[in-house]
Amino acid sequence: MSGTITLESVTKHFPGGVVAVNDLSLEVQPGEFLVLVGPSGCGKTTALRMVAGLEEVTSGQIRINDRIVTRLPPRDRDIAMVFQNYALYAHMTVRNNMAFGLKMARMPKQEIRSRVDEAAAMLGLDDLLNRKPRQLSGGQRQRVAMGRAIVREPAAFLMDEPLSNLDAKLRVEMRGEIIRVQRRIAAPTLYVTHDQTEAMTMGDRVAILRDGLLQQLGTPDEVYDRPVNAFVAGFIGSPSMNLVPATLERAGDGLAVAFAGARIPLPAEALSGRPDLAGQAGRPLTVGLRPEDFGRPGGAEVEVEVTRLESLGSELVAYLTPAGTQDGPLLTARLDRGETLVQGETARVTVDARRLYFFDAETGAALGSGGTPG
Amino acid sequence: MITTPGMRVAKIVAIVLIVVWSVGPIVLGVTTSISTQREVNSIPSHWVPRNPTLQAYRDLLNGSTGQTTGGTVTRGGDFVHAMTNSAEIALGAAALTLIVSTMAAYALGRLRFRLSGAVLALLIGTLVIPIFVIVIGLFQVMANAQLIDTKRGLILVFVATQSPLATWLLYAQVREMPHEPEEAALIDGCRRWQAFVRVVVPQMSSGIAAVAAIIVLSVWGEFLIPLLLTSTMSAKPVTVLITEYVGKYTTNYPILAAAGVLALIPPAVLALVLNKRITGMLAGSS
Ligand SMILES: Nc1ncnc2c1ncn2[C@@H]1O[C@H](COP(=O)(O)OP(=O)(O)O)[C@@H](O)[C@H]1O
Ligand SMILES: [Mg+2]
Repeated sequence: MSGTITLESVTKHFPGGVVAVNDLSLEVQPGEFLVLVGPSGCGKTTALRMVAGLEEVTSGQIRINDRIVTRLPPRDRDIAMVFQNYALYAHMTVRNNMAFGLKMARMPKQEIRSRVDEAAAMLGLDDLLNRKPRQLSGGQRQRVAMGRAIVREPAAFLMDEPLSNLDAKLRVEMRGEIIRVQRRIAAPTLYVTHDQTEAMTMGDRVAILRDGLLQQLGTPDEVYDRPVNAFVAGFIGSPSMNLVPATLERAGDGLAVAFAGARIPLPAEALSGRPDLAGQAGRPLTVGLRPEDFGRPGGAEVEVEVTRLESLGSELVAYLTPAGTQDGPLLTARLDRGETLVQGETARVTVDARRLYFFDAETGAALGSGGTPG
Repeated sequence: MITTPGMRVAKIVAIVLIVVWSVGPIVLGVTTSISTQREVNSIPSHWVPRNPTLQAYRDLLNGSTGQTTGGTVTRGGDFVHAMTNSAEIALGAAALTLIVSTMAAYALGRLRFRLSGAVLALLIGTLVIPIFVIVIGLFQVMANAQLIDTKRGLILVFVATQSPLATWLLYAQVREMPHEPEEAALIDGCRRWQAFVRVVVPQMSSGIAAVAAIIVLSVWGEFLIPLLLTSTMSAKPVTVLITEYVGKYTTNYPILAAAGVLALIPPAVLALVLNKRITGMLAGSS
């Protein structure tokens, strides 16, 4: 039941000069659910298709279960893939869709039947086995696609945005379902999505890809708490982290960060893990503030103008401009619904200064070891 | 759009004209076929026969000497034989064309290979060549291959003339078809040809049916090529046979009309059954 998916310096050039995947190395551990996430066009699908054997690699090596499969056709890789649009066989019943791979493998009829029945039971498809795909809802098709993948008991699973065609409620439901099934099968899974929420909620680990380049690979907590650069910081978390040009200034013994008219002294805790931050004093950099770090008791106060308020019922999302700036940056803050802000007026909100992030203004690389986990 | 009464009238007139234009000859054919020769020639002529009769059909199917039928000689069995020839040729050509064209369309639409664009352009280019430009060369080739007056020969020629259009129509369908199901098949253990046979072809079935109908209809109606390449009943299709019912001096119009009516039935049935699919295919939205 154990297996790994290994990519080693995998690169893909498309004709016309597009480098869709650039020197990508990662390993999906036995039983692990690894999510490859990034904005549209960053090369996720291409990476997955190379693992499946549907796209040739330009260079690099792919191994499944330590077996080199780089040049093997898809059928010899012992993988199963779930496609974004499900890719069901339209002319076959649900049962035959699921049985197709087993028939190709010349498995005995009896065994095929029992495996399909078992998978159908696991996915709640028992009553739909004789239907054709066009007689199914989106969610049901999704399940059939999952069923077709799991009956084969492959060495590895590949999934390309399998939930993106479902409505929001069903998507949340299916997230849990996919995880439940994957835990049971315990095969290494490489899961692609552009949705960071999906990545954070489903992944054992998350790999963030940008323009074909791997940015960071880590657990959801790691990439949230210690993003290696401003891109990851902005991509992970919802609403996105505020990234604001700022300078570090000396303030007595310590440091303060100044941006857009605001000046926040940094407490010792903010500096303790980052000895090299002091060396950045006087230089321009980018400061990162998570929307959820506003409005915490004990934080530094900043005077802001309330540009817009959105109530989500359970919480309040406020768009703020630091007071006294005309074209200052728009800051997003996630606040308790109890917060008394009025649109168009100035207010003082607190920012948890211990949880600021700092990035090089030019390269975007995290300065120090990133924000300390609270 | 605002419809003025004038436009309404114009529209109705246009529809009536189109219907008369296309249905008129058929109605005329049917009424003529159940008339007698004398009635057809009577002056003043009348449209609806006073004493409808199936004599023309009997003469057509059982044979007539020309003595009683005014110049038109028919041999019993010939007409049915020609109908079967037509059917065999049309169905044979359709089957072979589809095998060739489906594979060609898939290869051109899916597989990346050098000159695939050029091959497609060349194929479509042949559509604009009028048939009479090549008939002489065609006759020589067929004669050398000893395929004159054979159904095989006609089938081969029609595969050649029909496959460009068929390939083009199916190519368009391949381009519209999602890649993923056949990729899923490759992952599920298929080789490329297995994925083609088990997943791609079934996916294209509606297009294939429509193209089959288009080929059968157009081959059924072919006249010039079989006229040139057949001489005896062994391969002569119904379109060619019918012209022989035109007598040298006089013609028995009811027999000619009966032949026309019967020859029309198979394609008419096919067109009615597959009407939706054919129009869909030709409109590019199969
Ligand atoms: N077959 C192809 N030919 C040329 N370029 C391609 C092809 N497939 C993808 N690309 C390009 O490669 C990049 C990555 O695409 P893709 O892997 O589909 O991204 P993602 O799945 O992350 O949205 C994009 O710039 C895309 O335009
Ligand atoms: Mg994609």
